[in-house]
Amino acid sequence: MPTILFNLGLAFMTSMMGLSLQRSHLISALLCLEGMMLTLFLMLTTWATEQQSSLLFSALMMLLTLSACGAGTGLSLLVTTTRTHGSSNMNNLNLLQC
Amino acid sequence: MHPSITSLLLIALSTSTIITMSSYHWMFAWAGLEINMLSMLPLISKEHHPRAVEATMKYFMTQAAASAMLIFASTINAWQTAQWDISLLTPSTPMMMLTLAITMKLGLAPFHFWLPEVSLGTTNSVMLIITTWQKLAPLAIIILLHNSLNHHLLTSLGLLSMVVGGWGGMNQLQIRKIMAYSSIAHMGWVVMILPKAPDLSLLYLMLYIMLNLTMFLIIISTALTKLTSLFSTQNKSFPMMILMALTLLSMGGLPPMTGFLPKWLILQELIYQHQTQMATLASLSTLLSLFFYLRLVFNAFLTTPPNTSNVTKNWRNQTNHHILLPQMMILSLMLLIITPLVISLF
Repeated sequence: MPTILFNLGLAFMTSMMGLSLQRSHLISALLCLEGMMLTLFLMLTTWATEQQSSLLFSALMMLLTLSACGAGTGLSLLVTTTRTHGSSNMNNLNLLQC
Repeated sequence: MHPSITSLLLIALSTSTIITMSSYHWMFAWAGLEINMLSMLPLISKEHHPRAVEATMKYFMTQAAASAMLIFASTINAWQTAQWDISLLTPSTPMMMLTLAITMKLGLAPFHFWLPEVSLGTTNSVMLIITTWQKLAPLAIIILLHNSLNHHLLTSLGLLSMVVGGWGGMNQLQIRKIMAYSSIAHMGWVVMILPKAPDLSLLYLMLYIMLNLTMFLIIISTALTKLTSLFSTQNKSFPMMILMALTLLSMGGLPPMTGFLPKWLILQELIYQHQTQMATLASLSTLLSLFFYLRLVFNAFLTTPPNTSNVTKNWRNQTNHHILLPQMMILSLMLLIITPLVISLF
């Protein structure tokens, strides 16, 4: 079982690195965020099946719900950024640096 | 924004913080943090201009990444120990990841870049919420865990953010950015003393929230935005400007005011634990913060009418005093004389 944990942790870390190093476009950062949440979902389901515990299933629903809310908010922010800044490139978000 | 939507968002904000503070299971703590972030976003982007949208985007990115990292750390912990209780997070790798996630949520030094930029994009009252109420939920989690925290990591993060907060605020011209950097420096004090004496860090947090509330009430009621607007504010309300100067000195930690109390106790605790180098570094880094507080005081006072100033006078000198302001002012200036009572509360 540590192999599964290692692989999923590697997937999470890859998405995290993608989120922190991705400088070009907003939608790829949002996709990395979704990748992190889906990896967490996989980790929790494998943990629940391995422990044979059904206690976590409601928690899984909670995770899916809140990550969907986060994704929706991210997409709406993407649309708003496109409307206010002209494009959704990351290097356009430089109004507040001074 | 419609008042009912605003009140709904504020209720969600307060409820989610209380959920996180009172939760026993990692999943509920995470859900509270997530609801907290989701209800904060419309408040930040309330003003319809590009700066507010950009601030919302930056806030969303950092907070979402931090809460994902938090739940990842607790999942790793569950795989290793089969436990979901908050107080039972013992292995060292999840502990470090959790500390970094909390650090990102609080805006401490290596992850502090979002805080000044978000502060510039929002209104003063939303910035007041970000620098006070939003610190409570992450600090509640980390105070619950203070037995198994990594001392060296937290101490170095605390010292680093004190120095960065002092250094970054020096060159700023916007009042909200200065307040954001002062928040970074104060959070450094809170986090530095946390593994050694959690009651002192709680005391520091409460007094910091009080001082910050006073300062932001003054800023809101005189509509201060940048350093040059301080030149003409004393036409609005001269006693308030004197009290603002005293509040700033209190935030810097000068002795007869409240702000000296927690710094004094923390330095004493550090010296009792034979960590005099750390106490020296901490008190020296306060000087950096004190410099920019003093610069605010200088701009508010020493440019008074006998001198010539090339700043245009304000057209309207109207202030709307907040009803909480006098009480908060008294608390944030005169609490040092009842130090034993304040200590016995924590």
